[in-house]
Amino acid sequence: MGGSGGLRWYVTRRLLFALLLVLLVSSAAMMLTRLAPGDLTAELALRATPEEIARTRARFGLDRGIASQWTAWAVHAVRLDFGDSFLYNRPVGELVARGALNSAALALAALLLATMVGIPLGILTGTRQTGVMANAVRAASLLCLSVPPLLTSLLFVWVAARTGWFPVGGMSSANASDLDWSAWMADVAWHLPLPALALALPIAATLERLQAQSMHEAVGQPFVVAALARGLSRRQLVLRHAWRASLRPVCGLYGLVIGALLSGSFAVEYVTSWPGLGRLTFDALRARDIYLVAGCATAGALFLAVGSFVSDLLLALADPRVREMEAA
Amino acid sequence: MRRASIVAIVLAIGVLVGVVVTWRTPSSPASSASRGGQLVASIRSEPRSFNRLVARDQTVELLALLTQSRLVRVNRSTFETEPALAESWEVSPDGRVYTVHLRPGVTWSDGTPFTSADVLFTLDAVFAPGSGVVIASALTIEGAPITASAPDAQTVVFTYPAAFGPGIRLLDNLWILPRHKLEPALRAGAFAQAWNSKTPLSEIVGTGPFVVRDYQPGQRVVLERNPRYWRTSQEGSPLPYLDRIVLEIVPDQNAEILRLISGHVDLTQSELRPEDYLPVKRAADQGRLRLVDLGVGPDPDGFWFCLKPDAWRGDPRFAFVQRPEFRRAISHAVNRERFAETVFLGAAVPVWGPITPGNRPWFSPNVPRYPYDVARAQAMLSELGLEDRNGNGVREDSNGVEARFTIITVRGNSAMERGAGALRDELARVGIALDVAPLEFGAMIERLLTSRYEGIYYRPLASDLDPAINMDMWLSSGSAHFWHLGQKSPASEWERRIDGLMREQAATLDAARRRELFDEVQRIFAENLPVIYFVAPRFYYAHSTRVTGGSPSVLRPPLLWDADALSVTGPPSGTE
Repeated sequence: MGGSGGLRWYVTRRLLFALLLVLLVSSAAMMLTRLAPGDLTAELALRATPEEIARTRARFGLDRGIASQWTAWAVHAVRLDFGDSFLYNRPVGELVARGALNSAALALAALLLATMVGIPLGILTGTRQTGVMANAVRAASLLCLSVPPLLTSLLFVWVAARTGWFPVGGMSSANASDLDWSAWMADVAWHLPLPALALALPIAATLERLQAQSMHEAVGQPFVVAALARGLSRRQLVLRHAWRASLRPVCGLYGLVIGALLSGSFAVEYVTSWPGLGRLTFDALRARDIYLVAGCATAGALFLAVGSFVSDLLLALADPRVREMEAA
Repeated sequence: MRRASIVAIVLAIGVLVGVVVTWRTPSSPASSASRGGQLVASIRSEPRSFNRLVARDQTVELLALLTQSRLVRVNRSTFETEPALAESWEVSPDGRVYTVHLRPGVTWSDGTPFTSADVLFTLDAVFAPGSGVVIASALTIEGAPITASAPDAQTVVFTYPAAFGPGIRLLDNLWILPRHKLEPALRAGAFAQAWNSKTPLSEIVGTGPFVVRDYQPGQRVVLERNPRYWRTSQEGSPLPYLDRIVLEIVPDQNAEILRLISGHVDLTQSELRPEDYLPVKRAADQGRLRLVDLGVGPDPDGFWFCLKPDAWRGDPRFAFVQRPEFRRAISHAVNRERFAETVFLGAAVPVWGPITPGNRPWFSPNVPRYPYDVARAQAMLSELGLEDRNGNGVREDSNGVEARFTIITVRGNSAMERGAGALRDELARVGIALDVAPLEFGAMIERLLTSRYEGIYYRPLASDLDPAINMDMWLSSGSAHFWHLGQKSPASEWERRIDGLMREQAATLDAARRRELFDEVQRIFAENLPVIYFVAPRFYYAHSTRVTGGSPSVLRPPLLWDADALSVTGPPSGTE
């Protein structure tokens, strides 16, 4: 197979892999939640009657064996019915969709920010190994990499609380229900910077480090030296030749980053009260809300697969050798 | 701002011979408060339902307090029972029949008149098979449900299966729901799913001070004043004062406190943690917050061994664990002042039983006490045959079995983890070794319910201040008799005595006699120490200085339990 047939097979293979990933991750999440000590009736304990606890267990299939519960869940899940959430008393699909949308808004903002900061700085430090600027950027990157987003978001929320420059949390203001569409959008945009920055900083630092290393290797390649000998300006050399050649590992990272970001960040969403998928997953895990855990895991795996697919596409676009290899 | 409820008991002569008539007026706030405005409060979790009868968590309870009413309510500040939708009631001499006269002119928030049919419907729903109602056990007496009939639209006659000490107070659990909205769901067997978070908000009507206007999952619930609310101020002006309450969903307690301190929310739904006291005090000193001492909390932290013999399966340590003398020695070994300092940063008082001074109506100071005395604790342990025979600092029995136990507590709860650690340090001084294993909440509860643990440090919450409504904990057969679950008959003589005394006090109408019986229960409990209590935390609460009115309560929610008495001044919180 070659040409478009090869690409088709490649896409089919990736889709099958994505499907398998989603199936495995969601099933594992459900089973592990089921196997972990305690279940969703724990919080009712000592306050509810045994009958009430039994009724709740039956409603969520906990009175059945694991295999039987999983089969019933899987049969419904293929019809996109992921069951009901114990915590929210409403369908899981709807909750996950809403959480995913909110996480996506945050992820997009964080990714844009990280890309706009990380890539140019990586090019800078990759092409200039010495100098105050390059050293300062490297030090800042190391700092951002070593501070977990949990701490960063706590710090940002604290600063916001002290200064009043930004909202201390949430996705919109308390009076959001009175706002019209455009004012609501502006209000959400006002709440976005802190969680987006907390998420973006370590990603920007990772991108910077990876881009710098890759760039450093690329500028030493023979074809870059040859291009220099042809009399290309340094700017043309870096942006047109070396950068494109250095993008392969960076694009590979994007797949993971996109998947992870879309799945939501437990820590950032929890601390900043952002109603996304990460917070939903955290709440679900804490309450042993079995179908919600499985639903969130399904969405997370799906995003990871999508992210990986997108990164492959980016890679193919950025590097002609990849296209040729896939076609062959 | 508020006046305590006026209680008058009138003996009717003639028509009501032999019948006690009770007429009370609800406590009403003065109307000097400013009217209008928005209050922003935080909640930690989503509303699982808007129907309090089918869900029991704190957020659902709060929404019920804000949007619904009961026939009577327990004033959480004075602990007195006050009329609400019931304007007055009469009780038969045998204490089994309550004739309740409904407040005239009350309507649901959609304008439909409230009548006795709504009360009968609610009671039907409570006991309907498969309705999913979680409060049915709270409305049964000795296993039998209370029943009701309605001679007319304004009167409901409740019949109790037996005389019940708390009397009309039992109806504090009965949130009255609208028949015209929920009867179809009950008939269709979908009562548990009705009024869930997908229900159109216009369908959710109530007789409470507010109505739900907007719900954004993961973000907030917005409530607006119910213009048809029945309660008025002392001067007769309509309540509530507030136009709107916004409940912001903030799951993280650190973020919640930060929002309170920075003025983004006006109040929270729980008392302060010890570690939050200082930053809140600073904000209070700057005039941004009002710090309130709520008094001693009604539920102390406790430590107990699993006293179910089967759980130890021949483990020789059970031989001394089951001896009250062993547990008394532990109680003597703990310096409660030091414990309060370490765990609650000083904000706690020593206690000797499960009823703390915070439960004013039922606290008995006359229970056996075990003052801090290491020498005495050591002597008691030696009398039990426990000595440090190998000099490793831990006592052993004559067979060399160490007095070493693993105790579990809730991971992530800083006060619990500190408490378990402090207990370990205290008991190490008398040669008892504790290995502390904090577990995730669900895992700990699972161990508790299956009796797969040696010891637990935890704070079980009582379902009500009145012991007769908390029988599940006191009775040996109760589902919350947590130190020894699943008893078919009392496992010990003292538990048999407590069973008898509790049944008698629950069936006694005379308040003084009930008190006397429960004092004896507390004495027996403290003598046998199935659970060892050390200190009860003192609760502090903080709210924005723009909030005025209301009566802070040691019970949750500290302020919003009486939301119609609250008012706000100054610019709104929570808007950027």
